[in-house]
Amino acid sequence: MRDDEIIIRVAGAAGDGVQSAGQIIAKTFSRKGLNVMTYNYYQDIVRGGQSWYQVRASGGKVRSQGDGLDILIALNKDGVERHTNPDINEGGASPLTGIAIFDKSISGYTDRKVTYVPMPLSDLASKHSSFALMKNTVAIGAAMAATGVDFDTLSSVILDVFGKKGKVSEQNVSAAKEGYDYYLSNHKSIGKKLSFGNKRKYLIGGGEAVGLGAVRGGLKMYIGYPMTPASSALHYLAAHARDFGVFVKIPEDEISAINMTIGANYAGARAMTGSSGGGFSLMVEALGLAGMMEIPIVIYESQRPGPSTGLPTKTEQGDLNLVLGASQGDFPRIVLSPRDARDCIDLTSEAMNLAQEYQTPVIVMSDLYLSEHNETVDSIDPEFRVDDGNRPVDGEKDYKRYLVTESGISPRAIPGQKGLMHNEDSDEHDEYGDVVSDAETDPTKRVTMMDKRMRKLETFVRKMPPTETYMLADAEYAVIQWGSTAGVTEEAIDILRGKGHRIGAIEVNRVFPVNPDIGKLCSGKKKIIVVENNYSGQFNRLLKAELGLKTVLVRKYNGEAFYPSELAAMIEGEMR
Amino acid sequence: MVTVNDYSGKIKPDWCPACGNFAQLSAIKNVLTELKIEPENVVVVSGIGCSSNLPEFIKAYGFHGLHGRLLPVASAVKWANRKLTVIGYGGDGDGFFEGTQHFFHTAKRNVDLTYIVSDNQIFGLTTGQASPTSEIGFISKTTPDGNIEKPVNPMTFALSAGATFVARSFSGDPKHLQEVVKKGIQHKGFSFIDVFSPCVTFNKTNTYDYFRKRVYKYEAKDPSNFEEAYRAVQEWGDRIPIGVFYQVKGQSYEDLDPVTAEETALTERPYRKLKPEDFEEFL
Ligand SMILES: Cc1ncc(C[n+]2csc(CCOP(=O)(O)OP(=O)(O)O)c2C)c(N)n1
Ligand code: SF4
Ligand SMILES: [Mg+2]
Repeated sequence: MRDDEIIIRVAGAAGDGVQSAGQIIAKTFSRKGLNVMTYNYYQDIVRGGQSWYQVRASGGKVRSQGDGLDILIALNKDGVERHTNPDINEGGASPLTGIAIFDKSISGYTDRKVTYVPMPLSDLASKHSSFALMKNTVAIGAAMAATGVDFDTLSSVILDVFGKKGKVSEQNVSAAKEGYDYYLSNHKSIGKKLSFGNKRKYLIGGGEAVGLGAVRGGLKMYIGYPMTPASSALHYLAAHARDFGVFVKIPEDEISAINMTIGANYAGARAMTGSSGGGFSLMVEALGLAGMMEIPIVIYESQRPGPSTGLPTKTEQGDLNLVLGASQGDFPRIVLSPRDARDCIDLTSEAMNLAQEYQTPVIVMSDLYLSEHNETVDSIDPEFRVDDGNRPVDGEKDYKRYLVTESGISPRAIPGQKGLMHNEDSDEHDEYGDVVSDAETDPTKRVTMMDKRMRKLETFVRKMPPTETYMLADAEYAVIQWGSTAGVTEEAIDILRGKGHRIGAIEVNRVFPVNPDIGKLCSGKKKIIVVENNYSGQFNRLLKAELGLKTVLVRKYNGEAFYPSELAAMIEGEMR
Repeated sequence: MVTVNDYSGKIKPDWCPACGNFAQLSAIKNVLTELKIEPENVVVVSGIGCSSNLPEFIKAYGFHGLHGRLLPVASAVKWANRKLTVIGYGGDGDGFFEGTQHFFHTAKRNVDLTYIVSDNQIFGLTTGQASPTSEIGFISKTTPDGNIEKPVNPMTFALSAGATFVARSFSGDPKHLQEVVKKGIQHKGFSFIDVFSPCVTFNKTNTYDYFRKRVYKYEAKDPSNFEEAYRAVQEWGDRIPIGVFYQVKGQSYEDLDPVTAEETALTERPYRKLKPEDFEEFL
């Protein structure tokens, strides 16, 4: 691990305040201008179990949760035991090599080659409050002292987090100060060279980034039924509904959610829905309705491991087959897969326009890893050009809702427009929207309309921006990844480059339709290695089918995200 | 001036001659005309079924969606643009089987729309299977030995769910039908109208004659009396009441939600420009 980088992990049981402690640490670093990435390991319970929250920070790039562990804050004995044990590997996470901070009442753990820092956390906390979780704040103070960050920044974060609670907020600052001072008087700094600055960075979660991107893209209605890990976007938008002027609604189920989303867009209000695979499965029939009626909709699909309820608090990229194959018949759909928080903002805004432009479903595919971790972005552009696509003017003569055009895109009138009344139909219809399937089934019209709709995909492909790459120019080996594995793939490439391998990556954030340029980027490479967080290599199969690529597959499906050194080793294994 | 002709579509209805749906189509067109509502401000949303073909035959904005899903679509249309007059139209199978959950929750939300069900006590489009309102003993393709499942009473269901307007009418009495549809459309909030609409082709039990012998016009003493309404709608057998059973004032969902409550329709509001202050919480 680099000297200018630090990894801190807070470990405890659910209900111990693990996540809020981790978030205070993360924000302290992002306020000091460091790049930060957090990782949330938790279970589907409200109390008990084992959970932990990790913060990685550096002046340099931080593109994954990272390898190594410098400081452990253990809130119970199990935390000390588990995270110092070199054999316990929480789905790829590293055991501690640095210091472990915990309450001095914890004893009887196995002695290992780490620096133990038992502290009177509870005693120091009780000087300021009888509230049990206050000892966490003391521990945070101690850990922050160990990193050398100034106390003022920490206290500014604590005040903001507990802000409105007045007295509680002051008590927490005092408790943190106790821990901070105690550590400085009794222990030494961990000797990292962190390049602290004073330009604050935005620390944002992937779900919030999707919400923000949607609003920037003209969102007026968000309708979603809660399901982890898609709920973070729903919560963010609900909290800001008035301010953003966005109508937010939880309906009776996901079937209703998508039909409402379709209804809103039909009426001319940009609307979006979101869920995980289970909820998306309920949306399947209506997805095709939007395809047939050519109504723009955006769906945020944040994956978690299936099948069925699966692992509700874990990550996977196992829904691609579902998303690509959902609903009967052929119709155009666009699938985007943001790589990081910045992509979540940018691609969601873009999705809002693409849906309007192509009048068809656009699905933004994320996963728990991306939706639920926080990461820093340097800047967020408030500007975005919202484009409503092809809209006819009132009173247009002989208006045809589904006018056959070269691009496949037809003028979309919305209710309220004078003289453009028409019917939109889930039955096959002609250019006017009149049904052709009932009385006089018309094979010619059917083919014309199918071709027209499907032509929209060809138009989209023609306008696709080039696929982005990483260190690919001189590479002999190409890694192809999609979505949230981009950052960790880059770090794995760096590790392999460090070992002398000429390897680079193709980063796919527009998954479907497949960009034909991926085939060109692969030409002449010794080996093409596809990296996926799922069992069967769903994207790999798509690439083979669409581009005829010969590939090998690297996969992980234990519910956790890839770690850089783990992924590097897996890739290296395939290079021989 | 809006005339009935303005609402006449170029497509001739494909219903069987004498199908009950014709009466509802005329009633809707006549009432919209009478109320001087411009066709461009009317959205008719339907599901799938014979009845649900109606939007194809009326010159307004039509949405012929999925079986059972018309109410979520209709609700969102209203929320997007509350200036529109939104009418939901579908069958008994559509509304009381496939779309039950939407019926319950839309009624409870009191979205300002009019939901008219063409209740023929059978699946028409799929050529005659027992529906949720088919009576016990009813013989159909799927119940050759007679239906053994109790029918739902859409009226008690709507009342229990909290609908603010609950009414019933009969295709065989166009005048009554038109009056009830008019009251439903004028009502602010969720109006539910169940219409006995004989399927002359597949339902040989619940015919025009069957209803003509039984229906009588019910006048509520106090339409806001829930208990009275609840009792009245349960009368069944030799005498079946039709009319407006229940009507109360209540705030609609879109009045209560602070975002839709504003005067300007969501569709007409400018897009919200982001400002750097919007990102400050992340700093
Ligand atoms: C999801 C789905 N399931 C089944 C069908 C087939 N289907 C079409 S209409 C219908 C029932 C029609 O009955 P009803 O809603 O009472 O309408 P009616 O034809 O009697 O007016 C069914 C089962 C369908 N179109 N979609
Ligand atoms: S089958 Fe029945 S419901 Fe359908 S059009 Fe014919 S009469 Fe009407
Ligand atoms: Mg029916």
